Amino acid sequence: MSVENIKTVESVKHWIEDAGYNSPKRSQEVEHLLNELSDFCDFTEKDPDELVESCLRTTKSGDISISAKGRREIDDTIGEFVKSKGLSGHNAIVVGNNIRGFLIHNGVFMQGKVSL
Amino acid sequence: MEFKRVVGTRRSVRWLKPWRPVEREKIQVMLEAANRASRSMNADYPRALVVNRDDIPEEVRETLYNPTTSVELDLAPTYIFWYIDMNYAQGAPDRLKELVKQHALSPSHGWSESYVDKFLWPQVLKPIAENPAILMFMGATEVGIAICNALNAAVDEGLGTCLHAFTAPEKVKQAFNVPDSWFPVWLQLVGYPLEEPEAGGQRPRKSLSYMFFEGNCDTPWKEDEKVTEKLKEEGLIQTPGPFPYREQEVRMLSRMFGLPE
Repeated sequence: MSVENIKTVESVKHWIEDAGYNSPKRSQEVEHLLNELSDFCDFTEKDPDELVESCLRTTKSGDISISAKGRREIDDTIGEFVKSKGLSGHNAIVVGNNIRGFLIHNGVFMQGKVSL
Repeated sequence: MEFKRVVGTRRSVRWLKPWRPVEREKIQVMLEAANRASRSMNADYPRALVVNRDDIPEEVRETLYNPTTSVELDLAPTYIFWYIDMNYAQGAPDRLKELVKQHALSPSHGWSESYVDKFLWPQVLKPIAENPAILMFMGATEVGIAICNALNAAVDEGLGTCLHAFTAPEKVKQAFNVPDSWFPVWLQLVGYPLEEPEAGGQRPRKSLSYMFFEGNCDTPWKEDEKVTEKLKEEGLIQTPGPFPYREQEVRMLSRMFGLPE
Protein backbone atom coordinates (compact mmCIF):
# COMPACT_ATOMS: atom_id res chain seq x y z
CA MET A 1 0.00 0.00 0.00
CA SER A 2 1.52 3.30 -1.04
CA VAL A 3 2.27 6.10 1.38
CA GLU A 4 -0.15 8.36 -0.49
CA ASN A 5 -2.95 5.85 0.00
CA ILE A 6 -2.06 5.17 3.61
CA LYS A 7 -2.37 8.85 4.46
CA THR A 8 -6.05 8.79 3.66
CA VAL A 9 -6.95 5.86 5.91
CA GLU A 10 -8.89 6.97 9.01
CA SER A 11 -6.91 4.83 11.45
CA VAL A 12 -3.68 6.33 10.11
CA LYS A 13 -5.00 9.88 10.27
CA HIS A 14 -6.09 9.20 13.83
CA TRP A 15 -2.62 7.91 14.75
CA ILE A 16 -0.86 10.96 13.33
CA GLU A 17 -3.19 13.34 15.09
CA ASP A 18 -3.42 11.48 18.41
CA ALA A 19 0.36 11.13 18.69
CA GLY A 20 0.87 14.82 17.94
CA TYR A 21 2.78 14.19 14.72
CA ASN A 22 0.60 16.62 12.78
CA SER A 23 2.60 19.73 13.58
CA PRO A 24 4.31 21.22 10.49
CA LYS A 25 7.68 20.85 12.22
CA ARG A 26 7.29 17.07 12.16
CA SER A 27 6.27 16.54 8.54
CA GLN A 28 9.51 14.77 7.61
CA GLU A 29 9.19 12.52 10.61
CA VAL A 30 5.62 11.67 9.60
CA GLU A 31 6.72 10.80 6.09
CA HIS A 32 9.28 8.44 7.56
CA LEU A 33 6.72 6.80 9.85
CA LEU A 34 4.25 6.38 7.03
CA ASN A 35 6.93 4.74 4.90
CA GLU A 36 7.61 2.25 7.67
CA LEU A 37 3.92 1.49 8.07
CA SER A 38 3.51 1.18 4.33
CA ASP A 39 6.38 -1.33 4.22
CA PHE A 40 4.82 -3.27 7.07
CA CYS A 41 1.49 -3.36 5.25
CA ASP A 42 3.26 -4.78 2.21
CA PHE A 43 5.08 -7.30 4.41
CA THR A 44 1.84 -8.55 5.96
CA GLU A 45 -0.31 -8.03 2.87
CA LYS A 46 -2.78 -6.16 5.07
CA ASP A 47 -3.99 -2.59 4.98
CA PRO A 48 -3.76 -0.48 8.18
CA ASP A 49 -7.35 -1.16 9.19
CA GLU A 50 -6.80 -4.88 8.74
CA LEU A 51 -3.74 -4.68 10.98
CA VAL A 52 -5.86 -3.19 13.74
CA GLU A 53 -8.66 -5.68 13.13
CA SER A 54 -6.24 -8.60 13.36
CA CYS A 55 -5.63 -7.60 17.00
CA LEU A 56 -9.35 -7.61 17.79
CA ARG A 57 -12.08 -10.18 18.17
CA THR A 58 -15.83 -10.19 18.63
CA THR A 59 -16.96 -11.68 21.92
CA LYS A 60 -19.99 -13.96 22.34
CA SER A 61 -21.97 -10.96 23.55
CA GLY A 62 -21.08 -9.07 20.38
CA ASP A 63 -18.56 -6.69 21.94
CA ILE A 64 -15.26 -5.92 20.27
CA SER A 65 -12.35 -6.98 22.42
CA ILE A 66 -8.59 -7.22 22.06
CA SER A 67 -7.52 -10.65 20.90
CA ALA A 68 -4.53 -11.82 22.94
CA LYS A 69 -3.71 -14.32 20.19
CA GLY A 70 -4.06 -11.76 17.40
CA ARG A 71 -1.98 -9.23 19.27
CA ARG A 72 0.76 -11.75 19.97
CA GLU A 73 0.83 -12.77 16.31
CA ILE A 74 1.13 -9.17 15.16
CA ASP A 75 3.82 -8.56 17.77
CA ASP A 76 5.75 -11.55 16.44
CA THR A 77 5.22 -10.36 12.87
CA ILE A 78 6.65 -6.96 13.78
CA GLY A 79 9.74 -8.79 15.03
CA GLU A 80 9.99 -10.72 11.76
CA PHE A 81 9.48 -7.56 9.72
CA VAL A 82 12.27 -5.73 11.50
CA LYS A 83 14.56 -8.72 11.02
CA SER A 84 13.68 -8.90 7.32
CA LYS A 85 14.87 -5.31 6.93
CA GLY A 86 18.23 -6.28 8.34
CA LEU A 87 17.81 -4.00 11.32
CA SER A 88 19.24 -4.69 14.73
CA GLY A 89 19.79 -2.96 18.06
CA HIS A 90 18.32 0.50 18.63
CA ASN A 91 17.07 0.94 15.05
CA ALA A 92 15.22 -2.36 15.12
CA ILE A 93 13.51 -1.42 18.38
CA VAL A 94 12.54 2.03 17.12
CA VAL A 95 11.04 0.76 13.85
CA GLY A 96 9.14 -1.99 15.65
CA ASN A 97 7.83 0.42 18.23
CA ASN A 98 6.77 2.94 15.58
CA ILE A 99 4.48 0.30 14.13
CA ARG A 100 3.28 -0.63 17.59
CA GLY A 101 2.54 3.08 18.08
CA PHE A 102 0.09 2.95 15.17
CA LEU A 103 -1.75 0.04 16.80
CA ILE A 104 -1.59 1.60 20.28
CA HIS A 105 -3.15 4.86 19.15
CA ASN A 106 -5.93 2.80 17.61
CA GLY A 107 -6.73 1.20 20.94
CA VAL A 108 -4.58 -1.93 20.95
CA PHE A 109 -2.75 -1.98 24.28
CA MET A 110 0.70 -3.39 23.74
CA GLN A 111 4.30 -2.75 24.66
CA GLY A 112 7.49 -3.21 22.75
CA LYS A 113 11.10 -3.64 23.67
CA VAL A 114 13.07 -0.89 25.35
CA SER A 115 16.31 0.29 23.80
CA LEU A 116 18.79 0.19 26.65
CA MET B 1 9.76 13.68 54.33
CA GLU B 2 6.73 14.58 56.41
CA PHE B 3 3.90 12.05 56.32
CA LYS B 4 1.42 14.30 54.52
CA ARG B 5 3.96 15.17 51.84
CA VAL B 6 4.77 11.48 51.35
CA VAL B 7 1.12 10.66 50.78
CA GLY B 8 0.67 13.67 48.52
CA THR B 9 3.79 12.91 46.51
CA ARG B 10 3.02 9.26 45.97
CA ARG B 11 1.82 8.48 42.48
CA SER B 12 2.62 5.81 39.94
CA VAL B 13 6.07 6.50 38.58
CA ARG B 14 6.51 4.47 35.40
CA TRP B 15 9.72 6.02 34.14
CA LEU B 16 12.54 4.65 36.22
CA LYS B 17 16.29 4.83 35.77
CA PRO B 18 17.12 1.34 34.50
CA TRP B 19 20.81 1.85 35.20
CA ARG B 20 20.55 2.77 38.89
CA PRO B 21 20.10 -0.11 41.31
CA VAL B 22 18.05 0.32 44.43
CA GLU B 23 19.98 -0.02 47.67
CA ARG B 24 19.00 -3.10 49.64
CA GLU B 25 18.53 -0.93 52.75
CA LYS B 26 15.75 0.98 51.03
CA ILE B 27 13.94 -2.20 50.10
CA GLN B 28 14.21 -3.30 53.72
CA VAL B 29 12.55 -0.06 54.80
CA MET B 30 9.68 -0.79 52.42
CA LEU B 31 9.32 -4.36 53.66
CA GLU B 32 9.39 -3.26 57.28
CA ALA B 33 6.69 -0.67 56.56
CA ALA B 34 4.58 -3.40 54.96
CA ASN B 35 5.17 -5.70 57.87
CA ARG B 36 4.00 -3.01 60.31
CA ALA B 37 0.70 -2.44 58.49
CA SER B 38 -2.64 -3.03 60.14
CA ARG B 39 -3.66 -6.68 59.90
CA SER B 40 -6.74 -8.37 61.32
CA MET B 41 -6.12 -11.39 63.58
CA ASN B 42 -2.50 -10.23 63.51
CA ALA B 43 -2.26 -12.75 60.69
CA ASP B 44 0.61 -13.07 58.24
CA TYR B 45 -1.28 -12.10 55.08
CA PRO B 46 1.38 -10.42 52.95
CA ARG B 47 4.23 -12.29 51.38
CA ALA B 48 6.69 -10.70 49.04
CA LEU B 49 9.44 -11.88 46.75
CA VAL B 50 12.08 -9.24 46.00
CA VAL B 51 14.04 -9.75 42.82
CA ASN B 52 16.59 -7.52 41.18
CA ARG B 53 16.10 -7.45 37.43
CA ASP B 54 19.75 -7.96 36.62
CA ASP B 55 20.01 -11.00 38.86
CA ILE B 56 17.34 -12.83 36.88
CA PRO B 57 18.79 -15.22 34.30
CA GLU B 58 18.06 -14.03 30.77
CA GLU B 59 16.06 -17.16 29.93
CA VAL B 60 13.80 -16.58 32.96
CA ARG B 61 13.37 -12.88 32.21
CA GLU B 62 12.27 -13.70 28.69
CA THR B 63 9.44 -15.80 30.06
CA LEU B 64 8.10 -12.84 32.06
CA TYR B 65 7.65 -10.64 28.99
CA ASN B 66 4.49 -10.56 26.96
CA PRO B 67 3.02 -8.05 24.48
CA THR B 68 1.46 -6.07 27.33
CA THR B 69 4.30 -6.17 29.85
CA SER B 70 7.83 -5.43 28.85
CA VAL B 71 8.57 -1.72 29.23
CA GLU B 72 8.13 -1.74 33.00
CA LEU B 73 10.20 -4.89 33.41
CA ASP B 74 13.06 -3.33 31.46
CA LEU B 75 12.99 0.03 33.20
CA ALA B 76 12.60 -1.08 36.81
CA PRO B 77 15.77 -2.39 38.47
CA THR B 78 13.85 -4.07 41.29
CA TYR B 79 10.63 -6.07 41.29
CA ILE B 80 8.60 -6.95 44.35
CA PHE B 81 6.09 -9.71 43.71
CA TRP B 82 3.33 -9.38 46.30
CA TYR B 83 1.22 -12.34 47.37
CA ILE B 84 -1.47 -13.32 49.83
CA ASP B 85 -0.49 -16.33 51.86
CA MET B 86 -3.81 -18.15 51.71
CA ASN B 87 -2.84 -20.07 54.85
CA TYR B 88 -2.98 -16.85 56.83
CA ALA B 89 -5.81 -17.99 59.10
CA GLN B 90 -3.76 -20.87 60.44
CA GLY B 91 -2.61 -20.15 63.97
CA ALA B 92 -5.11 -17.33 64.42
CA PRO B 93 -6.21 -18.43 67.93
CA ASP B 94 -2.64 -18.42 69.21
CA ARG B 95 -1.91 -15.03 67.69
CA LEU B 96 -5.06 -13.52 69.15
CA LYS B 97 -4.38 -14.98 72.58
CA GLU B 98 -0.89 -13.49 72.37
CA LEU B 99 -2.53 -10.10 71.87
CA VAL B 100 -4.82 -10.74 74.84
CA LYS B 101 -1.74 -11.54 76.96
CA GLN B 102 -0.14 -8.29 75.80
CA HIS B 103 -3.29 -6.36 76.74
CA ALA B 104 -3.58 -5.18 73.17
CA LEU B 105 -6.95 -6.95 73.22
CA SER B 106 -8.43 -6.53 76.67
CA PRO B 107 -11.53 -7.43 78.69
CA SER B 108 -12.51 -3.73 78.51
CA HIS B 109 -13.38 -4.45 74.88
CA GLY B 110 -14.78 -7.90 75.53
CA TRP B 111 -11.68 -9.96 74.83
CA SER B 112 -10.46 -13.01 76.73
CA GLU B 113 -8.50 -16.13 75.88
CA SER B 114 -11.64 -18.17 76.56
CA TYR B 115 -13.60 -16.15 74.03
CA VAL B 116 -10.93 -16.82 71.40
CA ASP B 117 -10.87 -20.58 72.09
CA LYS B 118 -14.54 -21.26 72.71
CA PHE B 119 -16.32 -18.91 70.34
CA LEU B 120 -14.23 -16.74 68.06
CA TRP B 121 -12.23 -19.46 66.40
CA PRO B 122 -14.86 -22.21 66.02
CA GLN B 123 -17.80 -19.96 65.23
CA VAL B 124 -16.30 -17.02 63.35
CA LEU B 125 -12.78 -17.50 62.14
CA LYS B 126 -12.79 -21.18 61.23
CA PRO B 127 -15.83 -20.76 58.95
CA ILE B 128 -14.03 -17.81 57.34
CA ALA B 129 -10.92 -19.91 56.86
CA GLU B 130 -13.06 -22.51 55.11
CA ASN B 131 -14.81 -20.04 52.81
CA PRO B 132 -12.66 -19.33 49.74
CA ALA B 133 -14.52 -16.14 48.80
CA ILE B 134 -14.16 -14.54 52.24
CA LEU B 135 -10.61 -15.83 52.55
CA MET B 136 -9.75 -14.11 49.26
CA PHE B 137 -11.61 -10.89 50.13
CA MET B 138 -9.88 -10.54 53.49
CA GLY B 139 -6.51 -11.52 52.08
CA ALA B 140 -6.71 -9.01 49.26
CA THR B 141 -7.81 -6.23 51.59
CA GLU B 142 -5.10 -6.86 54.15
CA VAL B 143 -2.31 -7.31 51.63
CA GLY B 144 -3.46 -4.10 49.94
CA ILE B 145 -2.95 -2.24 53.20
CA ALA B 146 0.55 -3.66 53.53
CA ILE B 147 1.43 -2.74 49.95
CA CYS B 148 0.17 0.79 50.57
CA ASN B 149 2.72 1.15 53.37
CA ALA B 150 5.45 -0.16 51.08
CA LEU B 151 4.48 2.35 48.38
CA ASN B 152 4.60 5.26 50.79
CA ALA B 153 7.87 4.05 52.28
CA ALA B 154 9.39 3.97 48.79
CA VAL B 155 8.37 7.58 48.23
CA ASP B 156 9.85 8.53 51.59
CA GLU B 157 13.12 6.91 50.51
CA GLY B 158 13.21 9.03 47.35
CA LEU B 159 12.28 6.13 45.09
CA GLY B 160 9.79 5.90 42.28
CA THR B 161 7.36 3.02 42.34
CA CYS B 162 4.17 1.75 40.83
CA LEU B 163 2.00 -1.32 40.91
CA HIS B 164 1.59 -3.42 37.82
CA ALA B 165 -0.64 -6.35 37.00
CA PHE B 166 1.09 -9.51 38.11
CA THR B 167 2.89 -10.91 35.11
CA ALA B 168 3.23 -14.59 34.26
CA PRO B 169 2.38 -15.90 37.77
CA GLU B 170 2.94 -19.53 36.86
CA LYS B 171 6.36 -18.78 35.40
CA VAL B 172 7.33 -16.68 38.40
CA LYS B 173 6.17 -19.48 40.67
CA GLN B 174 8.28 -22.02 38.85
CA ALA B 175 11.36 -19.84 38.47
CA PHE B 176 11.51 -18.64 42.07
CA ASN B 177 10.04 -21.59 44.01
CA VAL B 178 6.95 -19.73 45.15
CA PRO B 179 4.93 -21.84 47.63
CA ASP B 180 1.58 -23.24 46.50
CA SER B 181 -0.31 -21.32 49.18
CA TRP B 182 0.77 -17.92 47.85
CA PHE B 183 -1.77 -16.15 45.66
CA PRO B 184 -0.41 -13.40 43.36
CA VAL B 185 -1.68 -9.86 43.97
CA TRP B 186 0.50 -7.11 42.50
CA LEU B 187 3.90 -6.65 40.97
CA GLN B 188 5.53 -3.58 42.51
CA LEU B 189 8.20 -1.95 40.38
CA VAL B 190 10.85 0.03 42.19
CA GLY B 191 13.66 2.31 41.07
CA TYR B 192 14.84 5.87 40.97
CA PRO B 193 12.54 8.20 39.05
CA LEU B 194 13.77 9.16 35.61
CA GLU B 195 10.87 11.52 35.14
CA GLU B 196 10.38 14.55 37.39
CA PRO B 197 9.46 13.28 40.87
CA GLU B 198 6.05 14.93 40.48
CA ALA B 199 5.49 12.65 37.45
CA GLY B 200 3.52 15.32 35.64
CA GLY B 201 1.53 16.52 38.63
CA GLN B 202 -0.87 15.11 41.17
CA ARG B 203 -3.46 12.78 39.70
CA PRO B 204 -7.06 13.94 39.50
CA ARG B 205 -9.34 12.98 42.36
CA LYS B 206 -13.00 13.70 42.95
CA SER B 207 -13.73 16.10 45.82
CA LEU B 208 -14.25 14.88 49.37
CA SER B 209 -17.89 15.92 49.09
CA TYR B 210 -18.31 13.54 46.17
CA MET B 211 -16.44 10.66 47.76
CA PHE B 212 -17.41 10.79 51.42
CA PHE B 213 -20.41 11.42 53.66
CA GLU B 214 -21.14 12.52 57.17
CA GLY B 215 -23.97 11.40 59.41
CA ASN B 216 -25.80 9.65 56.62
CA CYS B 217 -25.20 8.96 52.98
CA ASP B 218 -27.44 11.83 51.90
CA THR B 219 -25.07 14.33 53.47
CA PRO B 220 -21.81 14.84 51.61
CA TRP B 221 -18.70 15.60 53.63
CA LYS B 222 -18.28 19.36 53.69
CA GLU B 223 -14.68 20.46 53.36
CA ASP B 224 -13.28 23.07 55.72
CA GLU B 225 -11.41 25.43 53.38
CA LYS B 226 -8.88 26.29 56.08
CA VAL B 227 -7.94 22.62 56.41
CA THR B 228 -7.72 22.28 52.63
CA GLU B 229 -5.36 25.26 52.48
CA LYS B 230 -3.23 23.80 55.28
CA LEU B 231 -3.01 20.51 53.40
CA LYS B 232 -1.83 22.36 50.32
CA GLU B 233 0.89 24.02 52.37
CA GLU B 234 1.91 20.69 53.86
CA GLY B 235 2.03 18.88 50.54
CA LEU B 236 -0.86 16.45 50.84
CA ILE B 237 -2.66 18.37 48.13
CA GLN B 238 -0.27 19.31 45.31
CA THR B 239 -0.36 20.97 41.92
CA PRO B 240 -2.61 18.88 39.73
CA GLY B 241 -1.37 17.39 36.49
CA PRO B 242 -0.65 17.73 33.72
CA PHE B 243 2.26 20.09 34.10
CA PRO B 244 2.65 22.32 31.02
CA TYR B 245 5.75 20.42 29.91
CA ARG B 246 4.42 16.94 30.62
CA GLU B 247 3.69 15.96 27.04
CA GLN B 248 7.17 17.04 26.00
CA GLU B 249 8.69 15.21 28.96
CA VAL B 250 7.02 11.94 28.00
CA ARG B 251 7.96 12.41 24.35
CA MET B 252 11.61 12.94 25.21
CA LEU B 253 11.66 9.93 27.51
CA SER B 254 9.98 7.79 24.86
CA ARG B 255 12.62 8.80 22.33
CA MET B 256 15.38 8.04 24.77
CA PHE B 257 14.31 4.40 24.84
CA GLY B 258 12.94 4.07 21.29
CA LEU B 259 9.39 3.68 22.58
CA PRO B 260 6.20 4.65 20.75
CA GLU B 261 5.21 8.29 21.14
